[in-house]
Amino acid sequence: MADDAADVAEDYRQALEDLTVNSRIEIATLTNIARENAHHGLAIAEVLTNHIKKVPPPRTLPALYVLDSVVKNVPTPYALYFGPKLYSIFMGAYTKVDNPTRRKMDEMLKTWKEPVPGSISTKPVFPPEVVKPIENALIAAKNVALQVNQSSYQGQQYMLRGARPPAPPHRDTPTPPNVRPATQQPGQQYPPPNGHMPPHGGNAAFPMRPHNGPDVLPPRATTQPPYGAPYHQPQVPHQGISIERLRDDIQQLIVAERAEFARDPLDVGKQTRLKALLDLQTLIQRPDVPQEQLMLVKEKITELSVNMRSAATAASAAAAAAATGIAPVAAAPLQYPVPYTATPTPPVIPGAVPPPPPQVPGGRPPSASAVAGPSAGAGGALSIDSLFGQGALAALLAGATRKSATPTPSQTGTPQPPIATPIPPPAVPPVAGAPTPVPAAAAGSLAALPPVIAAALRSQTPTVGPAAPPPLEAPKPAASAPPTVPAAAPPAPVSNPSALLAMLRQSGLLSGTTPAAPAPVATAPAAAPAAAWTYTLKQYRGPQLINQLHEDLGPPCTQCGRRFGTDEEGRRKKTAHMDWHFRVHQRVTDAERRGQHRSWWVEQSDWVNSLEAIDSDHGHRSDTTAGGGAGGLGGRGGGVPGQDTLNYDDNVDEDEDDYDPEASFNNSYNPNSLYPGGGGIMGADHSGGHGGGKAMPGHGGGRKGGKRGGLDYIPVPEDSAKVNNMCPICQERFEMKWLDEAQEWVWMDATKVGERVYHASCHKEVNGSVGGGVGPGGGGDNGLMSMGGENGFGGRKRKAEDDAYSGVKGRIKLEY
Amino acid sequence: MSIPGLGQIAPQAPTTTQRTINLRPFGEWRFSIPHQHSTFSSNSSAAGVTVRLAAGTAERDGTELAPNCVYTFLPGTKSKLFTDQGCTLEINNTGGYPLEDRVVEHPPEQSPMLSYINLHFGLQDHERAAAAQAQQQQHPTHHQQQQQGRGAGAGVARPKPGPRVLICGPPGVGKTSLAKLLAALATRMGSQPLVANLNPTDGLLCLPGTLGAAVFGTLMDVEEPAGGFGVTNTPISGPSAVPVKNPLTFYFGHEKVEDDVDMWRQMTERLAVLVRRKFERNRDVRMAGLLVDTAPVEAGDKEGQDLLGWAVRQFDANLVVVLGSEQLKTELGQRFASEKTSFEEPVTVLGLDKSDGAVQIDKAWRQKSTETAIKEYFFGGIKARLSPFTQSASFDELVVFRAPDEPYEGAPVLERVEITPEMAHWTLAVMIASVTDSPQAIRFSSVKGFIVIADVDQERRRVKFLSPVSGRLGNHPLIWGRWPEPYLNLLA
Repeated sequence: MADDAADVAEDYRQALEDLTVNSRIEIATLTNIARENAHHGLAIAEVLTNHIKKVPPPRTLPALYVLDSVVKNVPTPYALYFGPKLYSIFMGAYTKVDNPTRRKMDEMLKTWKEPVPGSISTKPVFPPEVVKPIENALIAAKNVALQVNQSSYQGQQYMLRGARPPAPPHRDTPTPPNVRPATQQPGQQYPPPNGHMPPHGGNAAFPMRPHNGPDVLPPRATTQPPYGAPYHQPQVPHQGISIERLRDDIQQLIVAERAEFARDPLDVGKQTRLKALLDLQTLIQRPDVPQEQLMLVKEKITELSVNMRSAATAASAAAAAAATGIAPVAAAPLQYPVPYTATPTPPVIPGAVPPPPPQVPGGRPPSASAVAGPSAGAGGALSIDSLFGQGALAALLAGATRKSATPTPSQTGTPQPPIATPIPPPAVPPVAGAPTPVPAAAAGSLAALPPVIAAALRSQTPTVGPAAPPPLEAPKPAASAPPTVPAAAPPAPVSNPSALLAMLRQSGLLSGTTPAAPAPVATAPAAAPAAAWTYTLKQYRGPQLINQLHEDLGPPCTQCGRRFGTDEEGRRKKTAHMDWHFRVHQRVTDAERRGQHRSWWVEQSDWVNSLEAIDSDHGHRSDTTAGGGAGGLGGRGGGVPGQDTLNYDDNVDEDEDDYDPEASFNNSYNPNSLYPGGGGIMGADHSGGHGGGKAMPGHGGGRKGGKRGGLDYIPVPEDSAKVNNMCPICQERFEMKWLDEAQEWVWMDATKVGERVYHASCHKEVNGSVGGGVGPGGGGDNGLMSMGGENGFGGRKRKAEDDAYSGVKGRIKLEY
Repeated sequence: MSIPGLGQIAPQAPTTTQRTINLRPFGEWRFSIPHQHSTFSSNSSAAGVTVRLAAGTAERDGTELAPNCVYTFLPGTKSKLFTDQGCTLEINNTGGYPLEDRVVEHPPEQSPMLSYINLHFGLQDHERAAAAQAQQQQHPTHHQQQQQGRGAGAGVARPKPGPRVLICGPPGVGKTSLAKLLAALATRMGSQPLVANLNPTDGLLCLPGTLGAAVFGTLMDVEEPAGGFGVTNTPISGPSAVPVKNPLTFYFGHEKVEDDVDMWRQMTERLAVLVRRKFERNRDVRMAGLLVDTAPVEAGDKEGQDLLGWAVRQFDANLVVVLGSEQLKTELGQRFASEKTSFEEPVTVLGLDKSDGAVQIDKAWRQKSTETAIKEYFFGGIKARLSPFTQSASFDELVVFRAPDEPYEGAPVLERVEITPEMAHWTLAVMIASVTDSPQAIRFSSVKGFIVIADVDQERRRVKFLSPVSGRLGNHPLIWGRWPEPYLNLLA
């Protein structure tokens, strides 16, 4: 049993290690495993705890989500196991992650105070005595942080909001943070922990829901503004607010308001306000109103009372509010002098700094703005909305009640309340029909640019003449030259023939014709003196030329921005490129775990001979493509050694057992000695070792041979019926093998000569005496042998490599 | 507002953590994030200032930012994001780094970037011309070869490479940035230019104090402080998200060319030989041509111009770009007026304006940057954390050479030196050579990597050092240079 638990724990640990991104599927799987092994719960809890503690910051959040998911879905026994350690887990993680992650953690923490969404149980996820210390610690930490760092969020908000005094920290974020630019984290994500499903996912998509029976309570998703709507900035100070004091304040206000109301019972505004206050009073009574909402309430209340006292109220404000054209519902209750005006925020160009709100004629600086818009809510909601701005009620209700109420997506459609200026994931989905600004994330193109610029960018050739003649027409310059001169360019120096030539060349570029006629282009630069250069350098040749650096190259890769064409070749390259990204991503975790280090740099001759490996991990194409195989042009040999230095990552995985961080230079440099490239680079590095004194590249056939001394292989012929699958010399079959490096099935130790395929070693044996050192294979062997002796520091490894080489040869030849 | 303590937060100095800026075409967002001092501690774990391209296109030194990806610029970065089509950038400084930045917008006709971009297109023409010529040549060559049989292609004229550009100018005019820009733009268009650095104050894909060259055929790193020219992008034992480049470096061991002009001449000559050989071997690189970045030279500096002339001849440069100095341009124009490359091309001297954003890097900043590079070399950065190995060896196992202090007539270029406690914290170059080689051979072999001497125990005659790769150094000699200076806090 104990062994069992250890096994389970070990498995679970490994599974956790593979969790690098916030992937819903993976988290669901991990939850399932935890459920199935609930009898080993203690071990699993232990593993998960340790994992969260030691995982690097970027991967902490997914790990925490696993905890969250496990606890919510399998509360017994996991909530018990994690409970006592929760404080240290949470705080430990909190200290090492960055701010956006912290915000997510805050949200998660909030959900722990509530029952599992959709569950029958009314017990919170974790008992308050577990969650409370964490909250207290966070609040304390934030207060300290605020004192230490005066560049606080408040100040920032202040500035961003224009000339407005700071509003309370509550932010009614109408942003469903589920919607993120897809490019950032591809794949499905674990839903935000409060159980609110991503809009596209739907509840059914979450397989982990344990209590999917008849919903006793309506799913909270509908009652809560998306995803921790009242979520707060970590930097925001939390001052404890005494509910009692607040209640007293409200009570006082109500008394005052009643008096007012008694004086003028027909005033609708006062009536509404009184009702709002009464509503508020009941709301406040509820025990579970979060602090930040109380703050909001308190602020408004204080504000109100100030206003009540300073009776200098002007009715003009109400009129002004009405005049700004806000929704009548909102305007109606505002007919008394409230200190806030509903300011319809003008549609903001995404990304632009929000302009200051229109000044209200009343002259009073607007203190907090209620946002106009389709007001969605019950009747009672209106009045509070009028007090606090739309959305406030929603937030309050969400926190305080479970009643199905306001927050509808339409909120996101209203112009952003200025309170909510900087939303970290700025993906506000546009809501149909709402007069929204174009969301920044949706733009991705010129659409989001100021229209003027966009227009300028789109406009075709306003500054440049019509499509210019191809450079072939150079001989008759008089006719063709003028149209090519951009309007802005000084027309004078056309008399200079070389300048003219240069201009024509340019026009060739402008019209997009690549040198269909190489001859004139070829001579031009050589002949172009500095004058022509200087002339062309200063010219603005319009957006077409710029496009050559952008659009003309094709759409950019979403991960690194490199562009690929849309034609056949471009697509092929892009596929290779994306594969490369994928492989790298896949291996990053692995490499991190193993520990990695800077590699030694290559020797001069290898540098000279290396090729840049662009999005491909295999520089070792089949020898046969060179047309000569082993006996052919020596140059193609075993591929290009240097390439492997650029593609180390591929080799790391191929021979798990081979990898040894403690190995000597060469081995850690390229642990893979089985494959051609590996062998090649080994040779290269060794030659660096022994031949450094004779550092001049290209001396000694033995050394060169050593570099090419890798194994030969050919891709498995497509139509194997046509090709012999047996070596004509030794009558043995070729071994088919998946070569990761080449990403294809290959025949190892094979070489194609003419139409026939031989074992490279057999062929070499037979032809070696004849072909001498010309064949790379032969040279290679010689190289290896000769180098073994004189190797300075890497002798041990050289030996090993020889063994590997012969080992493979033997294996391939023997087992079929 | 009347909530005590809240309303009173004054509007002064609100450090924004996030904001959005719009740039018109040919606008620049220049920024500078100072190096981190030990006293400054960021209030979050954010590694630097993050930028997201929300719309349009933007690039750093020619390398495009991917839309909607979050890029982190680290402390110690002074650079700019440029847009030729207009863009919206979202800048987030959650870490509260003392970021200094501003937006500069020129009309395209007045932006120096325009001429840089045009220069790129001019070079591209040149490149095409070289390709076309090569094609013409290749046909007969091929033919010939087939007639004469394999391997008998000798005697054919050396194929002409693409443009070879030497970039020079006074200090702080943006020479390296221009080299980076041209390399990145060429890479973007699918070429594989070769970049050579002759300024030991910088290091190309290497620590400072070196001269070197590398082919840039893949995406350049936008985020690292050196913008793709830093040591970050050299091969590591694991995968890297930005394709690595393969540097070839010579260890100069001084900060300035003037410190050892002879050595500089010999090294550049050697480098040029290798560059030529690379051109011979690799058609793609040959077509794309060469960009040579040089040490600062002022107008009127006769000696400096001699060295430029040396470099032009060695690297067969056919285009000399003078940044930011009309006078230097004139002087060099006269100097190269009669000069011809080995392909019988004239040497064209071009004058370009410097960007008004180009600044001279002060000594303290450079010192910090060097330290950052050393740290990056051994320990990696945000993209990949590396684990160097601390090793211990006896004095006899390490063979350290150093250039003689006061060279005398007939002195060797390197002398064997004993390990002394003074060596502690110095960065030593590991050479690809054998200890038994002649000093000359060791001096002109290329650099395999670096180690840092951590501790010297003279009594027990043992030395502790930090090496990027485990295992013994074998018989690789080490060179102890005179620059960069010891990095005391590397191992603290």
